[in-house]
Amino acid sequence: MGVVTRKKLFSTVALCAIVVSLFLPIVMALPSPATGEEAPVAEGAPKEGEKVEKARDVYYKTEGIVVGAPAPKTTDSPTDYPRYNFESRVLIWFANQQHLYYGSFVLAVPIFCMIIEFMGVMTKDKALAKRYDQLAYDFIKISLTAYSLTAILGGILIFTFLTLYPTFFAYLSSIFRPVMHIYALMFVAESGTLYIYYYGWDKMKEGFLKWIHLSMSVILNVIGTLLMFLANSWIGFMMSPAGVDEQGRYLGNIWHVIHTALWNPLNLHRILGNMAFGGGVVAAYAAYKFLAAKTDEERAHYDWMGYIAMALGVAFLIPLPFAGYWLMREVYAYRQQMGITLMGGLLAWLFIIQATMIGILFLSTNYYLWQALGRMRGAERFQRYIKYLVFLMACGFMVFITPHTMVMTPAELKAMGGQQHPVLGNYGVMSAKNGGINVIIVTTVLSFVWYMRGNKVPTVSWARFGNIFMGVFFACAYINIIFLAIYGYYIPANVRVGLSVPQVASTLSCLFFMFALNSLMMKGAKQLGPIEWGKISARSQYALIMLATAFTWMMGLMGYIRSSVRLFWHVNEIMRDNSPWAYTHTVGFAANVISANVLFFWISILFVFWLGSLTAKKAPVEAKVGVPGAIPQPAGSH
Amino acid sequence: MGNLIVEALSMGWMALAILVGLLIYFQVSITDPTAKKRAVFKTFIGIVSTFLLFIAIANYKMNFYGESRLLPVSLAMITATTFIMALYFTNLSALLKIGGFMFFVAAFLSGYGNWLPQVEGGFPPKEEKLDFSSMTPQQLADEGEKIIFGGIGKNKEQGAIGKGQCPLCHAFHAGMLGERAPNLLGIVNRAKERIEDPKYSKGNPAKRDYVVKEAFPGAGTAENAQEYIAESHACPSCYVVEGYGVKGTNDRESPMPPIHKPPISLSLPELVAVDVWMYVREGVEPPSFEEMIKSYEKFIPEGERPQLQENKPKEGEASSLMADGSEPVDQIFAKAQCVACHTIPGIPGAVGTIGPKLEEGTTAAQRIKAPDYKGSAKSPAEYIMESIVDPSAYVVKPYPDNTMPKVFGQKLSAGALKKIVDYLSQVKAGAPPPKIS
Repeated sequence: MGVVTRKKLFSTVALCAIVVSLFLPIVMALPSPATGEEAPVAEGAPKEGEKVEKARDVYYKTEGIVVGAPAPKTTDSPTDYPRYNFESRVLIWFANQQHLYYGSFVLAVPIFCMIIEFMGVMTKDKALAKRYDQLAYDFIKISLTAYSLTAILGGILIFTFLTLYPTFFAYLSSIFRPVMHIYALMFVAESGTLYIYYYGWDKMKEGFLKWIHLSMSVILNVIGTLLMFLANSWIGFMMSPAGVDEQGRYLGNIWHVIHTALWNPLNLHRILGNMAFGGGVVAAYAAYKFLAAKTDEERAHYDWMGYIAMALGVAFLIPLPFAGYWLMREVYAYRQQMGITLMGGLLAWLFIIQATMIGILFLSTNYYLWQALGRMRGAERFQRYIKYLVFLMACGFMVFITPHTMVMTPAELKAMGGQQHPVLGNYGVMSAKNGGINVIIVTTVLSFVWYMRGNKVPTVSWARFGNIFMGVFFACAYINIIFLAIYGYYIPANVRVGLSVPQVASTLSCLFFMFALNSLMMKGAKQLGPIEWGKISARSQYALIMLATAFTWMMGLMGYIRSSVRLFWHVNEIMRDNSPWAYTHTVGFAANVISANVLFFWISILFVFWLGSLTAKKAPVEAKVGVPGAIPQPAGSH
Repeated sequence: MGNLIVEALSMGWMALAILVGLLIYFQVSITDPTAKKRAVFKTFIGIVSTFLLFIAIANYKMNFYGESRLLPVSLAMITATTFIMALYFTNLSALLKIGGFMFFVAAFLSGYGNWLPQVEGGFPPKEEKLDFSSMTPQQLADEGEKIIFGGIGKNKEQGAIGKGQCPLCHAFHAGMLGERAPNLLGIVNRAKERIEDPKYSKGNPAKRDYVVKEAFPGAGTAENAQEYIAESHACPSCYVVEGYGVKGTNDRESPMPPIHKPPISLSLPELVAVDVWMYVREGVEPPSFEEMIKSYEKFIPEGERPQLQENKPKEGEASSLMADGSEPVDQIFAKAQCVACHTIPGIPGAVGTIGPKLEEGTTAAQRIKAPDYKGSAKSPAEYIMESIVDPSAYVVKPYPDNTMPKVFGQKLSAGALKKIVDYLSQVKAGAPPPKIS
């Protein structure tokens, strides 16, 4: 075993040990993880000889000893809902949303850094490796100022809760007491690791130390992700409580309280969402720098940065609808009425906006990729086919946003003659909508494949066969998705639901097999010309900004939907909201508040970018741009 | 528009004054004609843009809580402002264009949200205390229809829904939507067949192949149609109609929540009312009220029976609220006793003469403009709100000051105040009164 290999092995083992030790506090805090057996006597529980009261868990249906007080019954009074001369709900909404935006950003960026730093370490091309390393450093630099803002906003959020919703927050913290402390301690660990990671960058840039540095980014991300999971457990509990009885009394099993019905789907959805959002923000930063650049060199660097951020963001955007689908399925499984309120009831119009936005996100991504073909010599051959992709995407988009049943006012119902539109009501069933979004995603995959092939021609001996196979594979995927979308109209609703599985399978097969096969075919491919970084149109940069803004807006929208589906409950079915704001706002009002949140975030983050530019500047590009070999190959960036 | 301009000027006059000062300074101090022209022109563009910006902010400020769906216009105006500025301030061009573009995206999405039909989720249903036991079957059926559909005679209206939330999943008429749960047409007769289904395992719950075998230990199974209906409400997973179970459970578990538990929490008499409606609409005579209550008591243990008035506020706290906003506006006026002193067109019994007649759709705007008006309201809605929470801010002549109590800000919830303001702002002199909502 060579010295280097041994060192790698040692660093891996050390890393694993550190990661495992990070989980220790959580494991220690769990008296009976996940098994659902009866909880042991917890702190504060009656001692031997005293009368113990047992109750049944509302979700797990296990029996446990009552150790908490029942959920308070609030009234519209200054004790439970003290207020300013303004709607408290809007204030808490604002504080929450800003904290979430920054929180998502600072959790996503270190994951990017980890991926990019790893790519740099693994790349054999020294110049390219340096560029990746510099890029990762630039990313973490941006997130550092945002990090302290996140903490400040977290403080503001807690104060807002304490001052405007004291009774509710007291109840929540009485249940999550240990989790909240672990959360705070992990935040300390996160800060420490982040500072060592950032300030140790130059000291740990070679050999074994570089591996240690890279390992630290893994630790940083593990802590960050756990932090998010813990925070998610609070909202999971508010939506689908567990670990308490029907009166909201805590039954001593903290794992039940954390591991609620919606916790895991929320975790997955948020990780992917954060990544796509982080990609969007960094891409917008790069776009801003690109548009403001004075030299070709700067333009080339920021063009490249924008591309990498966009590609990473989109890589996580593509599976996001599937994670969303899982979340919704779990919502339906947990409470059918909750699902219907979301998708076919009070909040259904918001989902129409969401569908529109998903369409916008994918259209912007594709538009960027088509524009990006322009900076590659040899990509002209694909240009004339783009109109067909536009056609496919437009069709998919129109089907995707067509509603089936909607909630309406009596006057609207009367005008329409029923809950379904006389023409549109025949369309818009779920299988067709799934067909629409799957066509959009498959088309995006196709755009990416074309982009990866932009300036290259495969030279492998089986290239012809490979091309035909890929063509047939894509055609079959389209046919399968569209056929099932239409077939859904001929079968009952409960059978139709099952069609999503083969549709999604087609899309995912395209995603994984086609990318893998294409990468294999592009090995040693003949280059028709270099990628001229910086030679992309300014319009493409606006596509990136569109992507970032639309993503921020969509996050705001979905957060609002997720939160307002509880209707008049602080904790669903356990603690009632008796404030004067226990009603659901109109779509228009919500849209206005979301816009205000989005714009506040962007104005403040532009300020953060500006602050970042004040720090001592490192040379942005050390490797010379334009030299063949120094230019990152797009295929390797995916 | 006039109000908007006045508001914009009152907010932004200092910024505009500085810019005008700069304009004059450049005009006087710069000697080079080309440089002077450029500086003056840029400052002029700055003035126009700043003015537009303040109009946009004023629009937001004045209409934030109103029914105006034109707030996104403000965002579009800011977009235009930034793009105009980007043309002339080339150093900041990239930043301004990006900012403007972001405002444009937000304006588009906000506009889209405002363009869609506006649905507002109402306040949570208030538990009313009704004496169901002394009602006739028809009265009970009416109450049942209200619980299911939200109103009497609404059962054929697609989308009508009451606090029971039944039509979210169930259909009640042939051919109506409701694919997630069985159509309940004919249920009172079909119930007899259901209990004979071998899967139902009448009399032997232990044999049942469902996630839940009994509503509670010892509850047993239904012996007649009414008990079957009661059991379906209290323990939906004790028997699941084929094809309607939770996906993946092979119809062993029902997605329906127990109706006597949160979030729906119907009391036993309310459940009975729902059942009576189903009997009556099919022309079948329902069992007696007591028998039906007993059928529910068989499947719902005492500790689980929801108590009416469960959410009644604690003494001395919100019980001091006169109205919480869930009532129709005429009731709010009555509860707050506005009707005793004011004449309010369209509100029954509101013929008081101690205070002025409330035709605020006409009078509010005039009073704001009155020379002796010293309040801070800028719009009729703000004026009405001010008059309620701070009646002395402006006293209509010849009525005396300090007659109207100053406690309404504390005694009425925000929702109730909003309803009052909405109603009064629509009452116009000489026009028919608005509809009560």
